[in-house]
Amino acid sequence: MSLAIETENLVKIYGKENSGIKALNGVNMKVPKSSTYGLFGPNGSGKTTLISILIGLLLPTSGSAKVLGLDTVKDSVEIRKRVSLLPEGFGFYDHMTALENLTFLATLDGIPPDHRKKRALEALETVGLKDRANDKVSTFSRGMKQRLGVAQTLLKDPELLIFDEPTVGIDPEGAAEFRNLVRRMNKEGKTILMSTHLLYEVGMVCTHAAMIREGRILTQGSIEELYQPVKEARGYRYEIRVKPGSEIPLQEIKSMPGVKEITQGGDRITVSSNKDIGRSLLSLVAKNPYKELVESLTPIEPSWEDIYQFYQEGDKK
Amino acid sequence: MMSNAFSIARKEFTDAVTSRRLWLIAGIFLLFSIASTYSTSFGFMMRAQQATRPMLQIASTIASTTAYMAPLLGIALAFDAVSGERERGTLRLLLSRPIYREDVINGKIISALAVIGLTITVSSLASVSVSILLHNVAVTLDDVARICVFIVFSIVLSFAYYALSLFISTFSNKSSHSLIISIGIWIFFAFILSIIGSLVAVAVLGPPPTRAIAIFNRTQGQSGNFTFPRESEEYLNYMRKEAEISSAIQTFSINYHYTQITNSLFGFAAGPLELGQRARATASIPTVLSTRLIDIVVLIVFPIVLLVASYMVFTRRQEK
Repeated sequence: MSLAIETENLVKIYGKENSGIKALNGVNMKVPKSSTYGLFGPNGSGKTTLISILIGLLLPTSGSAKVLGLDTVKDSVEIRKRVSLLPEGFGFYDHMTALENLTFLATLDGIPPDHRKKRALEALETVGLKDRANDKVSTFSRGMKQRLGVAQTLLKDPELLIFDEPTVGIDPEGAAEFRNLVRRMNKEGKTILMSTHLLYEVGMVCTHAAMIREGRILTQGSIEELYQPVKEARGYRYEIRVKPGSEIPLQEIKSMPGVKEITQGGDRITVSSNKDIGRSLLSLVAKNPYKELVESLTPIEPSWEDIYQFYQEGDKK
Repeated sequence: MMSNAFSIARKEFTDAVTSRRLWLIAGIFLLFSIASTYSTSFGFMMRAQQATRPMLQIASTIASTTAYMAPLLGIALAFDAVSGERERGTLRLLLSRPIYREDVINGKIISALAVIGLTITVSSLASVSVSILLHNVAVTLDDVARICVFIVFSIVLSFAYYALSLFISTFSNKSSHSLIISIGIWIFFAFILSIIGSLVAVAVLGPPPTRAIAIFNRTQGQSGNFTFPRESEEYLNYMRKEAEISSAIQTFSINYHYTQITNSLFGFAAGPLELGQRARATASIPTVLSTRLIDIVVLIVFPIVLLVASYMVFTRRQEK
């Protein structure tokens, strides 16, 4: 697996090494290339510190980190040439227009003079702000500023995009638009690292995730890898929806190996099992008499709250 | 690397010349300079004959205004240079670009030098022009040279306060704090230190000896004139020592060194031994520069030290 980001025992202590605040406590993180990687953790868990080290804004106290194969301490400028960051709590020059802001940042990104305006306008178009290109940023709403923040990450066509709490303070519609944009960029082959304290956001857009708490990674991997231990621990659940008013024979389902419990409420039947019986159930409902009576069969995935709780409890133990 | 600094400088320069803050300071600066030069040159016009080297007298009034305004200009440009970027969150965007931290501070310094240079040059030349155009004050080539040297040192003084305020701004998280500290230091250097100097002198020397009293000689009716008896040697000695102590304390102020240079440049006797003379001892420019070498060195070293300190704080400070 080719990695976009790799950290090794990353430690960051603010203040004196003996008495300071330990923001990161031996972080080992592996972000595969072309993934959308969610870095989930509560406020103060070390997400922003970790991101700041990755982009070379902070120096680690110990340990090392590589981004796109480059050392974050020695090659920070080279990293920033190839990586875009949407920092948390960023701001723009309010007295300048959106286009002026982006053109100025494009200059610092090293984009040739004759391409700057074009790139800035393209970025504004991508985030739906092209019509407001010549308006001063002081007239923008918070959501628009956030979109402008995303636009500045697109100026230099980066290989890796890092978003630090990107949907904080924007309305649900704006957040949904942002998630669509992330999906689109991921489809284009870009690697995206996104920190968030909103669990559902990880589930909605990420292909991989890490959970961080008190400066330590609790778990990381693909979404499926994160689900699996939780499913195994609490069991597998499936929901069968039947046509209104109809009843299906449950005996055959009950006799499947691993099935613990079947509950029925209205048109919904919930099957709990120790084993993954998804395929067996699917074959069963494809046959008569089920075929005529069953409307849908869906696995009930553990919620992201369940997953976080599971790993958090595991960590405490 | 420097191209990024120049890109930042270009933006900073545009911001500065279009900001109300700069126009306000430059306007006040210009107003005071023109008013003082106007009144001085108007005085010449009212008298039948011009004073010797009138332009130097006019320039010295500009220097008095500049001694107060140039530091304020420097502070106005620097107090939020870094802390403002930090407060607005723009510093994070800047530092996430492929640039060095030095580029940010270099860009700000280049822009500040340009703005300070432009503002002081334009204000000084405008004030001088008013005198020349309105009151036909004679100007010699030597006057022009002295005014040019004065402008250079005024820029250095303003830049010294810029460097001071920039240094405070680099470690401050709030621009308001940076502004208060910078203004506080300016007030201390410009006003409080001279008061402390006088108080220390009185504490060391004791109360001054009694002065000779001026006598009013009535000639006709209510009219008459004053006769000023010569001051006693004891009194003059006291005043000389008082000035020595006060000057020694004021050497800690950057303003004092600037004033010493401009006083010498425009022929005002300066220093404790020449106290009370206020004569036009117009030494040549090279002589002025050599006799005021220590003041010049202090005026130049002060901003350099603060700039180095600003670099160290800014480049080592880790921005999350």
